[in-house]
Amino acid sequence: MRERKQPLFHLVKRSELPAKYAWMIRLLSLLAAMLVGALIFLLLGSNPVKAYGEILSGALGRESARQRVVNIAVPLLGVALAIAPCFKMKFWNIGAEGQITVGAIGATFFALTFGGKYGLFAGKEPSLLLLLMMALGSMLCGAFWALIPAFFRAKWGTNETLFTLMMNYIAIGIVKWLQGGPWEGKPGSQIIPNFHASALLPKVFGVHIGWIVVLVLTVLIFVYMRYTKHGYEIAVLGESTNTARYAGMNVAWITVRTMLLSGAISGLVGFMIVSGANRTLYYGVAGGVGFTAITVAWLAQLNPFAMIVISLLLAVLSKGAGNLETVMGIPTSISDIITGIILMFMLASEFFIRYRLVRSHKESKEAKKA
Amino acid sequence: MQKRLLALLLAMAMILALAACSDNAADTEKPADTGSTGATEPADTGSEAPEAKNVKVGLVCIGDENDKGYTYNFIRATETAKEELAKNGINVEWVIKYNLIEGDPVAVANEELAEDGCAVIFNNSYGQEPAMLTVAADFPEVQFVGLTNEGSWKDDLDNTHNAFNRIHEGRYVAGVVAGMKLQEMIDNGEIKPEEAIIGYVGAYSFAEVISGYTAYYLGARSVCPSVTMKVQFVGSWSDATLEANAAQALIDQGCVLISQHSDNTTPATTAEKNGVFHTGYNADMIDAAPKASIISTRIDWTKYFVYAITAVAEGKNFDADYSHGMAEGEVVMTDLNEEIAAAGTAEKIKEVMDQISKGELKVFDTSKFTVNGEAVTSYTAIDMTGDFVPDEGEAIWDGEFHESAVPDLMSAPYFALRIDGITLLNEAF
Repeated sequence: MRERKQPLFHLVKRSELPAKYAWMIRLLSLLAAMLVGALIFLLLGSNPVKAYGEILSGALGRESARQRVVNIAVPLLGVALAIAPCFKMKFWNIGAEGQITVGAIGATFFALTFGGKYGLFAGKEPSLLLLLMMALGSMLCGAFWALIPAFFRAKWGTNETLFTLMMNYIAIGIVKWLQGGPWEGKPGSQIIPNFHASALLPKVFGVHIGWIVVLVLTVLIFVYMRYTKHGYEIAVLGESTNTARYAGMNVAWITVRTMLLSGAISGLVGFMIVSGANRTLYYGVAGGVGFTAITVAWLAQLNPFAMIVISLLLAVLSKGAGNLETVMGIPTSISDIITGIILMFMLASEFFIRYRLVRSHKESKEAKKA
Repeated sequence: MQKRLLALLLAMAMILALAACSDNAADTEKPADTGSTGATEPADTGSEAPEAKNVKVGLVCIGDENDKGYTYNFIRATETAKEELAKNGINVEWVIKYNLIEGDPVAVANEELAEDGCAVIFNNSYGQEPAMLTVAADFPEVQFVGLTNEGSWKDDLDNTHNAFNRIHEGRYVAGVVAGMKLQEMIDNGEIKPEEAIIGYVGAYSFAEVISGYTAYYLGARSVCPSVTMKVQFVGSWSDATLEANAAQALIDQGCVLISQHSDNTTPATTAEKNGVFHTGYNADMIDAAPKASIISTRIDWTKYFVYAITAVAEGKNFDADYSHGMAEGEVVMTDLNEEIAAAGTAEKIKEVMDQISKGELKVFDTSKFTVNGEAVTSYTAIDMTGDFVPDEGEAIWDGEFHESAVPDLMSAPYFALRIDGITLLNEAF
């Protein structure tokens, strides 16, 4: 009668979980993640309590460390904001890495062409005009890079996940070529010279001014998603393409428009990285930010203000990891594993807030059929 | 509700079990733990009180020791230097950061090391220096060293240094070993004189690489007059597959001996697979290719580390630029693979090393090579204006191209001439 074996458990969608329980699940997952992380520290022969302590003190113990934390959080937040509208629309843009990179190329073009030249940009101070040109260049480049997969998706329904992913590698390849080709400094070095002082972002409270830019962006994106017609269209399209179509929305244009916005912001982040932090361009400019930002956006459930918290949290972990290597000799790759575990547990907790695992009973078979 | 309770209980049980297990493990791990913390504590006081002779030293690496090549060679030297310094009553705690290529991550690493109390910080790759220099200005009491680079020439900072040893001397000797093997093959009738072709796997057309393969070629030609060389650039300092492919391409073009300026042992193993010979860089590669790899050359960084760290520990200055070679024992040859080396190689190595050390043999003797058929009489070495075009410092005098000439010029290699007899297979990198 019943040939097919019943799975031991099955998932049931929760109707409504009181916030109290939701937070308890989150807390427990964080605890569980830290315990698994502790096991890894133990396997390495390090004291986990000390290790976690070093992560915190390394990230928050000094003013310069706190500045670094903000420095790391800025691009994470910026890109999370960039991809949030796409994800709301259920357009899986995992090409932020490439859009950052191409944006950085655009900014670098202006920095190398004008920085320190033509009298106008030869001063020792950052030049507002040059920085604006770099910002504009980076946004145009990032938007262009995002436009390509958006256009193909809108026109021919191509798979945007693969498309945006592949675009990343092309962007990185272009930077590698620039490093060894037209923009190379010392012959054969594969290194682009550092930018002139006029092309560097000024600092406010010890961190490049990008932090103010992303905070403003946070508010703008919040308003855009919550209170504008565009934001409403994105939300409807995300729920159902057919509904959007039925309501007379131009699905293709909404897709392209949202990706242009996303790419432009990612590109702008690329500009902030090269001009504010690296002072030069190299192929690792995005450094995985485009991917980590996806986690930030998801953990924050696409809420811009929650993204501030999550990106700061990740930045603390990342900066603390550097300290762990310096003080306890624990390689950063191990810290990356711990960070990964924590993120995985946090994402899983969101899943268990929405669903619950139920033991399958024989009697429940009838119920299932029904 | 019951189920939720059960789940909670389960979770608690798991947490308790984990906690219990972590207690146990923490106990058993104590010895290892005290080992590392024991080293930290005196070093912390060391940075404030150098007379206690405890020094914390930072090293920023482009790769990690798994490359068994460039970075591995530095890691080895940190260990030997630590032993040497301990004998002199200087306690070193090394803090090493890995896989940092350039840009902000390098700056962060330098900053962390400086804030953590490192008295001197070494950066082991060319690309790290610009980022290092941005940090060096903020920590005037910490010494920053850019290995293979040249910033200390141009910056206005007192706490920046450069160093690179005269590896071209070692390359020359390795070339002699290769040339003897080729000449032996010619004499035995295994190959014709014009078939004595060396294949060289190079990372990039960077001065350091050009200087290396040219020295190697001149060494080979000094004992095998008919030898020629083909160079294939791979476009990476370390990419096992690309290096193997480059070696294979060279062998397919008739090269009967492979050498390399790249980090992996794959050129050696590719040579072995094809039945041709090989000499290596950075590490002994005989284990990887016992039937192919004859010898390797490497820089021994121990003495430089000892020199710089001793100076820092005693609160003294040390040279802004530094380049030692064979004479000082800072460029060395690895063990000779006697089974495949040509007869008399060991004696010849001794003789050539001795001549180089005494200054009797000039690696870049301008009477021994030509560019486009003509002898070279003048060469400008140093770029002071920052446009990457050398504009200062004559490198040729007394019939010799003086490479890594310190203190006259600089330690970072600048020999970038394309001499006759060497063919570059691609110009892409």
